[in-house]
Amino acid sequence: MLENYFPILMFILVGLGVGLGPLVLGKIVSPHRPDAEKNSPYECGFEAFEDARMKFDVRYYLVAILFILFDLEIAFLFPWAVVIQEIGAAGFWAMMVFLFVLVVGFIFEWMKGALEWD
Amino acid sequence: MMFTDVVFYVLAAILLLSGLRVITTRNPVHAALFLVLAFFTAAGIWLLLQAEFLAIALILVYVGAVMVLFLFVVMMLDINIDKLREGFWEYLPMAGTIGLLMIVEMGMVLAEKNLRPSQAVTLPPNYSNTAELGKVLYTDYLLPFELASVVLLVAMIAAIVLTLRDRKDSKSMNPADQVKVKRNDRLRIISMPAEVEPEHVAPEEEK
Repeated sequence: MLENYFPILMFILVGLGVGLGPLVLGKIVSPHRPDAEKNSPYECGFEAFEDARMKFDVRYYLVAILFILFDLEIAFLFPWAVVIQEIGAAGFWAMMVFLFVLVVGFIFEWMKGALEWD
Repeated sequence: MMFTDVVFYVLAAILLLSGLRVITTRNPVHAALFLVLAFFTAAGIWLLLQAEFLAIALILVYVGAVMVLFLFVVMMLDINIDKLREGFWEYLPMAGTIGLLMIVEMGMVLAEKNLRPSQAVTLPPNYSNTAELGKVLYTDYLLPFELASVVLLVAMIAAIVLTLRDRKDSKSMNPADQVKVKRNDRLRIISMPAEVEPEHVAPEEEK
């Protein structure tokens, strides 16, 4: 079974190489002669008045949590799709009931306007 | 040493290092990102144990969704890092005790396993973890499965009710509402007696 995942391992390694290679090359090859002016955040203009990290809108949280819920739904769909041939009609309708309950929630959030972003 | 052993040790080393960085890094956003790395490597270790479904669920649910939520929450809270570090030495005895207890508990669990090693089960070549899970989940554990959907529904409604509110400064328009407007919604005709101009207006500054 693990042989099937070897391409993924290769993919991760090549991806790491492509990502890290240029950084390491740049570190090694490029000249490095810092001075006080170069290290200052701005060569001209003001220093920053306040922290650049501002609070996020709570609606990002709402979108993220709705995404998690449907993500979990997909996690339930995975094993179902694998064994759909073996569990027969009962298993099929079990998932339909599951999906129906979540569609109720989906209609609720749509009607409430939770998916709107104005 | 087999190839899978090498992969395991590399993944385990990355997992331990990133786990350590989660609790030592100063910036909470970096801590969350190191947690993502820890989840990735843990998924790799699970794959080595042939637990495909767990590995996929870990990446799909935890890396894909839960960590996004963590990042949003961390950014939403506007954490002042210096203030967060203030009570470190005060809380150390209490936190150290709890940590020590957890280490002892984990040690007992692991010792139990390692002192009496169970026979390694040889799995048939076409064994699929996901399929085994699916066979029991949708038949024997039907009720818990359907209850899970209700739990998800409750979570969905709770999140919407708690966080969704109309913004007062929003200037967005709903075209359907605009089209549906009747004349009477916008214009009010009042009948009132005509104003009669006074006959004699006192001339200004007549002296």
